[in-house]
Amino acid sequence: VKLPSTFQGWLKLLLPWLLLAALLVLPAGKPGANILKLLFITAVWTTTSVAWNLLGGMAGQVSFGFAVFYGLGAYTTGLMMHAGLNPYLSFLAGGLIAAAASFLIGLPTFRLRGPYFVIATIGVTEAVRVVMNNIDITGGSSGYRILEEKQFNPLEHYYTAIAAVALAVAVSIMISRSRFGLALRAIKQDEDAAADLGVNPYSTKLKVHAIAAALVGIAGGIYARRAAFFYPGDVFAFQTSISILLMPVIGGIGTVWGAVLGGAVFGIVEEELVVNFPNFHLLLYGSLLILIILFEPDGLMGLLRRVFRRRREDPGSENSDQVLWGSGSVAGRKL
Amino acid sequence: MSLIQGLNLLIAALLLAGIYAAMAVGMTVIYGVMKIVNLAHAGFLMLGAYFAYEMFERFHIDPLLGAVLALPVFFLFGMAVHWLLVRWLPKSDTPSLPSLLLMFGFWLVLQNFGYVIWGNDDRSITTPRTLWPVNLGPVSVPEVKLIVFAAAVVCLLILQLVFNRSWFGRSMRALIQNPYAARIVGVDDARTSRLTFGLGTAFAGFAGSLLGMIYTFSPDFGRPFLLRSFVIIVLGGLESISGVALGAVVLALVETFAPYVPIPMYWHGWFFYQVSDSLQPAVSFGLLVVVLLVMPKGIAGLFAQKRRLA
Repeated sequence: VKLPSTFQGWLKLLLPWLLLAALLVLPAGKPGANILKLLFITAVWTTTSVAWNLLGGMAGQVSFGFAVFYGLGAYTTGLMMHAGLNPYLSFLAGGLIAAAASFLIGLPTFRLRGPYFVIATIGVTEAVRVVMNNIDITGGSSGYRILEEKQFNPLEHYYTAIAAVALAVAVSIMISRSRFGLALRAIKQDEDAAADLGVNPYSTKLKVHAIAAALVGIAGGIYARRAAFFYPGDVFAFQTSISILLMPVIGGIGTVWGAVLGGAVFGIVEEELVVNFPNFHLLLYGSLLILIILFEPDGLMGLLRRVFRRRREDPGSENSDQVLWGSGSVAGRKL
Repeated sequence: MSLIQGLNLLIAALLLAGIYAAMAVGMTVIYGVMKIVNLAHAGFLMLGAYFAYEMFERFHIDPLLGAVLALPVFFLFGMAVHWLLVRWLPKSDTPSLPSLLLMFGFWLVLQNFGYVIWGNDDRSITTPRTLWPVNLGPVSVPEVKLIVFAAAVVCLLILQLVFNRSWFGRSMRALIQNPYAARIVGVDDARTSRLTFGLGTAFAGFAGSLLGMIYTFSPDFGRPFLLRSFVIIVLGGLESISGVALGAVVLALVETFAPYVPIPMYWHGWFFYQVSDSLQPAVSFGLLVVVLLVMPKGIAGLFAQKRRLA
């Protein structure tokens, strides 16, 4: 293991661990129930954000369809717990079902590119919600209730959500440092060129879609267990898909920590905003999206980077964000 | 299904196709000229419906006239949106993600304005005509649907004329066919884009007003129609007005007849599955995915391919 030689290097290495440690010891300070709930929700959102970023940020396949996996995770967890399975195994089952669904969705839609893929994912989400509204065993549009014999323990829920975020971030970092991550970036930059270099774009996209779906499914299950009641208009809502997509875009598309930052900001803003200004959250997200696309395509991370005037050190991902946003060039070839 | 019922459904489907075509054509011209997938189209449709509503409630203007008034108002609005937002997008000759997300963000903003001004509840425009039936032999149709159909068709014909016979239409077609060559021969790219965006928005507002005469609406009104518009323009091959009409007819037929067509299925023996009414929206969304996959160049593209093979 090579240790960093500069202060900044140490900071970069230690900051995530310090953050994790802070989140783990936080309950010792006896925070209020509201704070714990806020952090729980934020952690669940952040998990989905980091997962979306695997497909949307690293591989450049923007999907409006992640509510499907979130909802499937929630419903699978509910049904499994109803059948008497351990909650943690139910979360895993939710992840597995979501991953299986990701194949069903990905097999046809990954034949499409760019905006066509995006539109197809919108169609899939809407269709799945309509179908879920009409399925009898899950109560249709009136929702599903999880009944647990155990007493409600907010700390357990909190730690589960933190574990999910940690898992998502760890998986993302491992992927972004691996050969697989390089393949994803290659696909984002130029699918045909990547194929020429021996990457199979179709199967690579399917794999990363499944990983992301599993993480989102787990997050959906964790949310469902705490909420104890959910319905298709909530977990399968188009709004859920939008939220999952907005977080990484706000934070900085394509970077793991951008997705984390976006998720954290979004979760906290959403929880505080829904309480205080229920009428204005669409306006906020809409204008934020417009501002980010017109002025700072790299999101909050780009803003931070600009403030601290630091070049990114990872040469593999240089330019990759500009490529997604349509103004990049590789080896003099305009993309 | 009796013959009369079938005839009723067929006429309902054709009337539906008219309004669908008017709805999709605005998105088509914008897509054709600028290669922007205009998700804010849903917002324009919604605003169009509320425009006719306000005109009717406040000034007692007939919603049909309201729809016509929507044309110039939304034209200017569209040009303003283009001037403010769209022209800053990075130039691209293929559809790009920033443009999609930008228009999506703008849609959210419009939706929020809708919620702030008109609130969450469903509204509808009720005129004496709304429920008045017109009898055509054995078939009876609400008068309002006939009027909406006629208005939509007239507008499409006018647009077709503009498209084929005017300089503006010619520059639009040039940009659709080959943006690069069009610029070389001196088509004013920026001006044509601005006007096209205005035109697309005007048609969205117009179609929104017409839709508002038939359906109830809320600020989330445009979403199902956005996806339908997209099905239609993909079916129609993405860039021609006659293609849009064809796509609209196909979608309307599929949507209308889907609940009546038994699908053979096997589960402990053969049986026929019928799509229930509540699942009907899923049909068009499913159709969208199928169409995108099977015929990315639309029905016309399918024919063209056959011809090339022969």
